[in-house]
Amino acid sequence: MAVMETTAESVNAAFSAEAVERRATSGAGWLGELRREAWDVYERTPMPTTALEEWRYTEVAQLELERYRLAEPKGESVAVPEEARAVLEGKAASGTVLQVDGDIVEVTLDESLRAKGVVLMPLADAAESHAELVREYLGREVGADFNKFAALNGALWTAGVFLYVPRGVRIEQPIRVARWLTEGGIAVFGRTLIIAEDGASIDYVDEFQSPDFDQPSLSCGAVEVVAKNAAQVHYVALQRWGRGVKHLSMQKTHAGRDADLDSLVVNLGGDLARVDLHAWLDGPGARSDMLGLYFGERGQHFDHNTRQDHKADHANSDLLYKGALYEEARAVFRGIIRVHQGAQQTDAYQTNRNLLLSPNARADSLPNLEIEADDVKCSHGATVGQLDEEELFYLMARGIPRKQAERLVVFGFFGEVLQRLPMPAVVQELSEAIAAKIG
Amino acid sequence: MPKNETIAGLDLDEYKYGFVTQDKPVFKAQKGLSEEVVRQISAHKEEPEWMLKFRLKALEIYNRRPMPQWGGDLSGLEQTMDEIYFYLRPQEKMERSWDDVPQEIKDTFEKLGIPEAERKVLAGVGAQYESEMVYHSLKKEWEEKGIIFDSIEDGLKNHPELFREHFATVVPPQDNKFAALNSAVWSGGSFVYIPKGVKVDTPLQAYFRVNAERMGQFERTLIIVEEGAQAQYIEGCTAPVYSTESFHSGVIEIVVKPNARFRYVTIQNWSNNMYNLVTQRALVHEDATMEWIDGNLGSKLTMKYPSCYLVGRGAHGSILSIAYAGDGQHQDTGGKVVHAAPHTTSQIISKSISKGTGRSSYRGLCKVYDGAERAKSNVECDALLIDETSRTDTFPYIEIEEDSASVGHEASVSKVGAEQLFYLMSRGMSEDEAMAMVVRGFIEPVAKELPLEYAVELNRLIELEMEGSVG
Repeated sequence: MAVMETTAESVNAAFSAEAVERRATSGAGWLGELRREAWDVYERTPMPTTALEEWRYTEVAQLELERYRLAEPKGESVAVPEEARAVLEGKAASGTVLQVDGDIVEVTLDESLRAKGVVLMPLADAAESHAELVREYLGREVGADFNKFAALNGALWTAGVFLYVPRGVRIEQPIRVARWLTEGGIAVFGRTLIIAEDGASIDYVDEFQSPDFDQPSLSCGAVEVVAKNAAQVHYVALQRWGRGVKHLSMQKTHAGRDADLDSLVVNLGGDLARVDLHAWLDGPGARSDMLGLYFGERGQHFDHNTRQDHKADHANSDLLYKGALYEEARAVFRGIIRVHQGAQQTDAYQTNRNLLLSPNARADSLPNLEIEADDVKCSHGATVGQLDEEELFYLMARGIPRKQAERLVVFGFFGEVLQRLPMPAVVQELSEAIAAKIG
Repeated sequence: MPKNETIAGLDLDEYKYGFVTQDKPVFKAQKGLSEEVVRQISAHKEEPEWMLKFRLKALEIYNRRPMPQWGGDLSGLEQTMDEIYFYLRPQEKMERSWDDVPQEIKDTFEKLGIPEAERKVLAGVGAQYESEMVYHSLKKEWEEKGIIFDSIEDGLKNHPELFREHFATVVPPQDNKFAALNSAVWSGGSFVYIPKGVKVDTPLQAYFRVNAERMGQFERTLIIVEEGAQAQYIEGCTAPVYSTESFHSGVIEIVVKPNARFRYVTIQNWSNNMYNLVTQRALVHEDATMEWIDGNLGSKLTMKYPSCYLVGRGAHGSILSIAYAGDGQHQDTGGKVVHAAPHTTSQIISKSISKGTGRSSYRGLCKVYDGAERAKSNVECDALLIDETSRTDTFPYIEIEEDSASVGHEASVSKVGAEQLFYLMSRGMSEDEAMAMVVRGFIEPVAKELPLEYAVELNRLIELEMEGSVG
């Protein structure tokens, strides 16, 4: 296959070696090197095309990469809009992080947790104060080799969050992160590194919000989650960008022996969202519940690319992604269950269900299995359909207008995902967010 | 572990038709592929000018197209392309009766176990030996009904207009690299025409086999089923074992006109050095039904995805696929259904068994175009893994542009459960018998759709594998 030569400059002059150098020289030395290496990989990696299986249904051109300038960190001078603060207000949390464009502007953490050794701080700061720890893990899960955009993120990230939970420490309320964009036309590179030591327990909610923009902005993020032996991590990404935002997110989770590592990916906002989620089950007895929920309308394009990699025996993964699509919305689900040789007694499941609610909506589903061990239970299923007329009739026969009946049925459709999320407060918020979108 | 003892015997790899008869071809084109070879084939077949042009254009497309990078590993094939004979013709003239068929070829059929089913029950037979039809007879009553069952060459000669109207309309040379190759060098295959309203109960059968070493076989079949007609076609193939790679790349085109019903059955049992890359496709018109039954037991690598293009309102397509991958084999098979008209329905059922280092992959497509209102499709894939080194994959593509469509896909992977074996053994069965029964049960939904003699053969094969597993 012909490899298309795409230099960074031909994509966007703002994504440049100089920009990388600016970032590399302002932080820890080893981190600077990591950035330069990532930049090299980025330059060497061809731009993905639809000829690649993983990009079959999403054109990179839709990202409009040429249209952004880099959001440079502003430090002290950054103005924090009230709406940005409002994202976190009134929600129970053990710690919070607020990001505005390219800056982490505020971090709070319960004193009691700090005393137990929990660390929550901007990733750039942690690279200096907790250099050894960060150096060991940063880029190990989502490195420059993950894909071209992960390499770009590795070179240019500014708004990073670092969470470290020591052995056996349980965080009762979620850690909440709000990521806010103030304007169109900018590219923001966020990053998350979560490390849960043996037996630690974390709920983590990453929330993305902004007003609607006339011209596009790009959010290109990387998330690395490590759950060591018997640790429990619930990671939720709630994407509610305003229209105009293009959302790229590369996530990798690593579950050690007997660890529980659950994820929920919600896509409601933005113009385009592409989420790559690789779940690695590296330890025997590891378990990953992978949930996804998306609701598209008016030309929104959501592309989910998931992997369940079973390296160890007796591990279990269960994926359920459900989406409803109105108007010209389009959804792509591509998932792979990969059972490596020797990963006996694996239970791995994968389900993708789509509701097409308008004549021009479109759904593509590719649930794949690659099984190299024989003593396993694996299955997958995918459906594309519409609302059940009988269910609607039942509700309408009870005097509920059709529009409202439709909403109820759609809500019930999502209920199956929400009820599997063991975070009641978050489920409540999510229900409200979905209700707001269904209108 | 007792489980492994049983399983060690499940070995379809011992090729059961491993014999060679003396090879005396009448005409052999040179090795490798070139414009000269294509011209030679066309001249030898005394083809009209348009067909030569068609072949040359296809050759151009073939040369331009890159090797597919998906599916199975084709690197071994690329290396041997220049060593392949692209055309071979064993006899000068078409045989009309069994008595005229040379003893040597009869012996080959004898060893294949074909004659019983073929001579007595079936009269209309296009048996393909080497690259061409050598034996061909047609039951009188069929001729009276106006059915045409010819070699593809005779189809072109005797029914030029009918032929040209449909040829390459279902699988154009642009479709894929190997369809282009076949279009350039095709030789042998069947031409079938079922006139309007004609219903035939006895299946039309064609047996063919590859013989000469390193000989490519590029059979081409064109089947036209007119309005309201009903028929079925059975094709089975076996090839003797050779040490060098062999290559088979066929194209099957079927047009099923309104209200017609057609069933195409293939059991493929090529020797384990064969690359088998086949394009099979049917155009299904209004209220017509097309059924593919596709069994893949042999070959080194098979890439074959029978397809139904549902282009008429209310058309129905059904694909039943069964694959067995033993040591070193890769069965990359499945099916495609494309819904391009309202109220079309389709179903794919796939069953695969992987044993030893065998790998079976289901690869399928369900596409519903915008406007194919109320289209319905259901896909089920089940895979059975026998050994730790066995591998299975499932790669379904589901592309839905129509909101009123209803599409479902389900797949599962499992191994033969210790509990299932224990249950049967506690009722006095030996472990072999129990294993055979579980495997038979697994493929039963497909086996029961096969014509009787095929179902019997399939079951016998499985039993053979279980035999001798004691020890």
